Amino acid sequence: MIAPEVTLTHLNRADGSATYTHIGYSIIGAVNGPIEVQRRDEQPEDATIEVNVRPAVGVGSPKERHLETLLHNTLRSIILTRLIPRTLVQITLQIRSLPEEDDSTGVNTSLTILPHLLHTALLALLSASIPLRTILTSVLIAVPSSASPNTSSTPLLSPTANELLRAKPVRSIHVFAFSGDRKLLLNESDGTFSYAEWAEACEKAEEVCCGEEEEGGVKLDEGESMELDGQVQEESLEKWLRGVVRRKVEWEQRWKSAT
Amino acid sequence: MPREAEISLNEREFIKQALQEQIRLDGRAFDAFRPLELTFGDEYGVADVQLGKTRVIARISVDVTTPLPERKFDGIFQIVTEFSPMASPAFEVGRPTDAEVILSRILEKSIRRSNALDTESLCIIAGLKCFALRADVHIIDHDGGLIDAACIAVMAALQHFRRPDVLVEGEKATILSVREREPIPLSILHQPLCVTFSYFEDEVFLVDANLAEEQVRQGEVILTMNKHGEVCQIAKYGGATINPLALLNCTNVALQKVKEMTTFIQKRLEKDAKKRDAGGLLAELSAENAR
Amino acid sequence: MPLDTSTYSLALLRLDGRRWNELRRIHAQISTQAAADGSSYLEMGNTKILVSVTGPAEGRQAGQRGGAGSQAKVEVEINFAGFSGVERRKRKSDKRTNEMEHCLRSAFENVLLLHIYPHSTITLNIHIISQDGSLLAACINASTLALIDAGIPMSDYLVACTAASSASSSAADNASSDDPLLDLNNQEELELPFLTVGTLGESDNVAVCIMESRVRMERMEGMLAVGIEGCKRLRGILDGVVKGYGKRFG
Repeated sequence: MIAPEVTLTHLNRADGSATYTHIGYSIIGAVNGPIEVQRRDEQPEDATIEVNVRPAVGVGSPKERHLETLLHNTLRSIILTRLIPRTLVQITLQIRSLPEEDDSTGVNTSLTILPHLLHTALLALLSASIPLRTILTSVLIAVPSSASPNTSSTPLLSPTANELLRAKPVRSIHVFAFSGDRKLLLNESDGTFSYAEWAEACEKAEEVCCGEEEEGGVKLDEGESMELDGQVQEESLEKWLRGVVRRKVEWEQRWKSAT
Repeated sequence: MPREAEISLNEREFIKQALQEQIRLDGRAFDAFRPLELTFGDEYGVADVQLGKTRVIARISVDVTTPLPERKFDGIFQIVTEFSPMASPAFEVGRPTDAEVILSRILEKSIRRSNALDTESLCIIAGLKCFALRADVHIIDHDGGLIDAACIAVMAALQHFRRPDVLVEGEKATILSVREREPIPLSILHQPLCVTFSYFEDEVFLVDANLAEEQVRQGEVILTMNKHGEVCQIAKYGGATINPLALLNCTNVALQKVKEMTTFIQKRLEKDAKKRDAGGLLAELSAENAR
Repeated sequence: MPLDTSTYSLALLRLDGRRWNELRRIHAQISTQAAADGSSYLEMGNTKILVSVTGPAEGRQAGQRGGAGSQAKVEVEINFAGFSGVERRKRKSDKRTNEMEHCLRSAFENVLLLHIYPHSTITLNIHIISQDGSLLAACINASTLALIDAGIPMSDYLVACTAASSASSSAADNASSDDPLLDLNNQEELELPFLTVGTLGESDNVAVCIMESRVRMERMEGMLAVGIEGCKRLRGILDGVVKGYGKRFG
């Protein structure tokens, strides 16, 4: 799995911004906050969170509103709203490009883009220094139809649109989001599946997002995988995310480390 | 809706004083644009313009639909601009501000009304089927000069875009996908580009003001011209009065700027075409015999 | 063809019988509505505009502050009567109307002495009864009269009119046969490139300039000059109307 490309804090007007590009999906996220909130939306003890998803083509439709609701519910649990009461945290996500085959894969396109939106939103929040309880990572798992009804097929981890197209028809897709302390934050599924299939997908997702339970994996550079005892180890999403933030902090602290 | 942070009195005075001494805060000449960067996306029809700190992305998409009953021989062309809170926290989704309406109208007048795009070429079968072209303008970062940047973005995207080819047999038309036949470019009749002039006391005219200068100015004139010397639209909505000779002088300056920008866009388009056609593959794939 | 070139070159008369530099019949009245603080009715040919001004008064929302920088706020509302144009117009506020409102608002914000009335709002209600070209110009002229009637101080009359270029694009740059035309009606506006120019009183200074059609830049000078000339004459006519009304109390 190639690591996503991220650029942080590149916009001038927004308090925090991030551009995230991964397997054909490119999203620009911007966060403004804490800023003044309308009297009618003001909450006495919490910050109000506003999420705006703008599609690449056209104006927003109910699909974007649905994505905004999912994102709102997930982000509300990790933003420390009690620390900034009576303010507004405004998150805007502009979808810049989608992979060509996105609408011909036959799966729910809201779910395919959801992990990427979550990552972009989180990175923009980190860039804006909004107080967060923990980080989150998210992944898409696709369970393709198996050749025979008895055997189950291997779930695809974070498949590209191309892989989804080739695996058509796909029985079910699942989006999971995990917090830094391995708690499940978001669980959205679409299609037909059994509980066992869902549990297997959830386990796989946890592995991809948070990494192995025990320490033993070797931390590797993005894009390369080293053969270690015959096993191919890949970096978990959480480690990638920490790497991004570490680089940002190192860059901003360079004045200190230079002396 | 949070208000835009207004420029402080000190900053205002500083800018005005500097202009009286013929100095612009970022050191540009009075008739110089900020550094312009133009990149194209991987797909056809996506243009990313960076004018100083202002960033605008334009994207062209096409759909097939029925033409308007009063214009049976024309296709449909629509420009949609929506400000998002990304560009500035003062923008609210769903409630168009004055600036948004003005931007939308100016783009409409410059590009649609002046017939920059030949809509007749978008017609497939008269009265039944036509292409509906849609230009989405996304404002990513706002530091003044939105109209100029948006116009460059839309024109560059229009010239970059390739629409699917159509095979018409009598009453039946088949849209050929990208794999079947190479998509064809749009028919652009002329390239209008906008230049915004901001004016201050003592007949000082600045080209391409940034946000701070925009808040200090006494008024603005938005000129749209093409490189052939035709003025496509002028908009001076109010603001302090100016001498008509100054207005005519602006058209001369604008012509020069528009010519520069047009060659710049052309060069970038060629560079992008070369990148896509890496190794002269297109020439190899052509089935023509050398005569 | 509004110019009917065959006869135009012979007698230099437009289809409605005017020469190139003649304004249409202007008829204006002020204080037409007793209920409003200021009102006016203006006819420029067949373009008929009714304006009523309310203010300076408290803003619509309770406790609303005036415009920026402790001066009065100007609000403009334009209403097109359904029977004003050729086709019946549905009541929809479209971007073109918003643009016109914005234009009038910024134009008058610079002419009126707003710092005298901080924390207040001046509302202009414009009703368009009949459209026959020079719409924005007529709105500006009618609004000027209504504001004068309301007694709101302004630095000078803000007058506007339209001018077009009758030259064809293939003609030589300084052909003597191309006369810029003054004060266009609807038919001429549809056919020829034109601009609306607004000046402040008798001076040459341009306050408003809107052009929506394509024209060669060499023609601009002629169009602007003719337009400004027309504005000067209009100023005299409007001043006459105001003074005539004042004589009644003399």
